[in-house]
Amino acid sequence: MSSHVTEISAADFEAQVLRAAQPVILDFFSTECPPCEALAPKFEALAEQFAGRARFLKIFRQGNRELAVKLGVTGSPTLVFFDRTGQERGERMSGEEIKKTVVKARVEALLAQP
Amino acid sequence: MSAPTHDLVIVGAGPAGLTAAIYAARARLRTVVLDESVPGGQVKTTHKVSNYPGFPEDVKGTDLARAFATQAERFGATIRRAVEITDHELAAPLKRFELDEEETVTAPAVIVATGAKPRLLGLPGESRFRGRGISSCATCDGAYFEGKDVHVIGGGNSAVEESLFLTAFARSLTMVVRRDHLTAEASSAEEALRHPKIKVLWRTAPVGFAGEGALQRMRVKDLASGEERDLATDGVFVFIGSEPRVDLLRGLVTLDPSGYVLAGEDMATSVPGLFVAGDVRAKSFRQITTAVADGTVAALAAQKFVLAARGRV
Repeated sequence: MSSHVTEISAADFEAQVLRAAQPVILDFFSTECPPCEALAPKFEALAEQFAGRARFLKIFRQGNRELAVKLGVTGSPTLVFFDRTGQERGERMSGEEIKKTVVKARVEALLAQP
Repeated sequence: MSAPTHDLVIVGAGPAGLTAAIYAARARLRTVVLDESVPGGQVKTTHKVSNYPGFPEDVKGTDLARAFATQAERFGATIRRAVEITDHELAAPLKRFELDEEETVTAPAVIVATGAKPRLLGLPGESRFRGRGISSCATCDGAYFEGKDVHVIGGGNSAVEESLFLTAFARSLTMVVRRDHLTAEASSAEEALRHPKIKVLWRTAPVGFAGEGALQRMRVKDLASGEERDLATDGVFVFIGSEPRVDLLRGLVTLDPSGYVLAGEDMATSVPGLFVAGDVRAKSFRQITTAVADGTVAALAAQKFVLAARGRV
């Protein structure tokens, strides 16, 4: 099954996130992280729903420690939202309580921005 | 009234819900378990469980959670992972849940085993630093703090057990405890107090958090003198107990003053066909073993209810 979520590494961050020309939702995930496992199917479903309009990327925290430190990400999962210009927007979402409906509303708000 | 899709809907795939599913499925009830996450409830993020009977050696919380789920599925229960309940009707004889705004499941009986979630401190800066230095899940986030100096808030079982786990990563760990003693089980409390990496600040409470981008400082208050000071920190793990997840039940059933659901010996609520089990229920002790016991009773009571309801149709 092909995924609508693309995994990136820190080297791709600038091109794929900051210069994406589409809103980007970036998921920092870890292994041995049940909340990350729980988020994965929701994230995939949203990626499919917004395909072609917003990009859903994931990045493995352990393999990209420096970028996590630079962005101040210290928990998994953490969702970071970027608008079309590569600017981070709104509060990050973290932990087990991430609701699909809430993420969906956040993405729609990013899309509604001029 | 259209035919129900199931005999029993269980909300929450923690120890209580999964045990209820084992009993209900073995009783040949068409059983579905709904969970917003993956199965296991709070057990799945507990790094080890030492007091669950049948495991003479410690068992990892994730392994125990997986075993509960596998056993329930073996008997034919369906576990729906990572689904969100977007609408519900629990007062009527035919109870209904809308899932992810697109699918509906119905049943004459429901067991709500939604458990409890980690309590927040409710302090300035706390929500801003969630995921930027403040965490409630040591197994998820411990590895972020390799070689770092971390703080743990709380002095109960979770705080102590998770502190011991975090010492595998952290350079130093300071527990911030309101009382002048740990309330955890004596055996693990002693282990923590003997641990070379663990220090304890007694009679101390956090009052706020600060930092540029990520968390850098925690302000604490000495409860004896009232004096406040800032502590440098790389990360703060909060284990100060839990609060019930009762969103589905608000306004429908009677809650105790702390917000837990009042139910009878048979786990029945005041609404016919609506049962509760596990940590969400008002009771004296919340353990995996007591959750499992609740799940058993709730499933058997629900089975009786479903059979009686069939007889009435």
